[in-house]
Amino acid sequence: MTAPVTSEAEQLRNTIARQFGRSLHIRTLDTGSCAVCEQEIRLLAAPHYDLHRLGFFFTPAPRHADLLLVTGPMIRAFAVAARKTYDAMPGPKVVVATGACALGGVYPQDPFTHGAVDAVLPVDVWIPGCPPSPLALLHGLGVAVGRLAEKVRAVPFTPDDDSERTVVSG
Amino acid sequence: MPLWFIRGLRRGVVTTRYPARTEESARFLPTPPAFRPHVLTSQTADLLVAICPSGALRRGGDAGDGDVLRYDVGRCTACGRCAAAAPHAVTSSGVWELAATDRSVLIKKIPIGGES
Repeated sequence: MTAPVTSEAEQLRNTIARQFGRSLHIRTLDTGSCAVCEQEIRLLAAPHYDLHRLGFFFTPAPRHADLLLVTGPMIRAFAVAARKTYDAMPGPKVVVATGACALGGVYPQDPFTHGAVDAVLPVDVWIPGCPPSPLALLHGLGVAVGRLAEKVRAVPFTPDDDSERTVVSG
Repeated sequence: MPLWFIRGLRRGVVTTRYPARTEESARFLPTPPAFRPHVLTSQTADLLVAICPSGALRRGGDAGDGDVLRYDVGRCTACGRCAAAAPHAVTSSGVWELAATDRSVLIKKIPIGGES
């Protein structure tokens, strides 16, 4: 009797994936950024990029969100609020650190900022860029939900026409 | 009622695959630098480390790596100062799909192979 139960569970899982798996709600969280990342995130909803065609939506409440899009260097005054936002989200949840600030590039760790988002929240996907363009953000969101493959792992950042290149794997 | 609304209702599908088309605008994006290892000398690397405003470039790798330039793509703001200071050794990479599921894959080790 195990097999039919498994197949029914499979069927149910496929139905759920078909009905809900293509839709994802995003909550953005500004932890002290200069707002240029927010400009680019806002452009995602514009007709040229049209985030909604891919089944992504912005939501104003963390209770409704599946994905937390975090920008900024995580100022210490905001760390508690960031933690509360994360705790308020229902699981399974994904945290995406967006921009060079969130990845530790612009601000050092000092009495005012944590310097990077992963000092406070468990980050799943990192999107570099200052700011990351809407195209890079779309790719990052695709990576976050497992629809697109990450490409940067295979890029050595030495030009292709370099005949004498010897690359140490990083 | 607008025509696009009726057309959308008739098709029944509002989502698309990604990418829906080749992204022509991607070539205008500022992209992180790429380094030519065989012309990158030790002095040039020191200069690049000194002028990098976000600390994306550091000298030295782990044990056994030899002489390397440690390049953290995550910290890079693609400002282009390294490419302006050493145009023979640094170019634009043209890579814009940079999202990673592991922070460590964003840290690249560029071997320094130039004669000083």
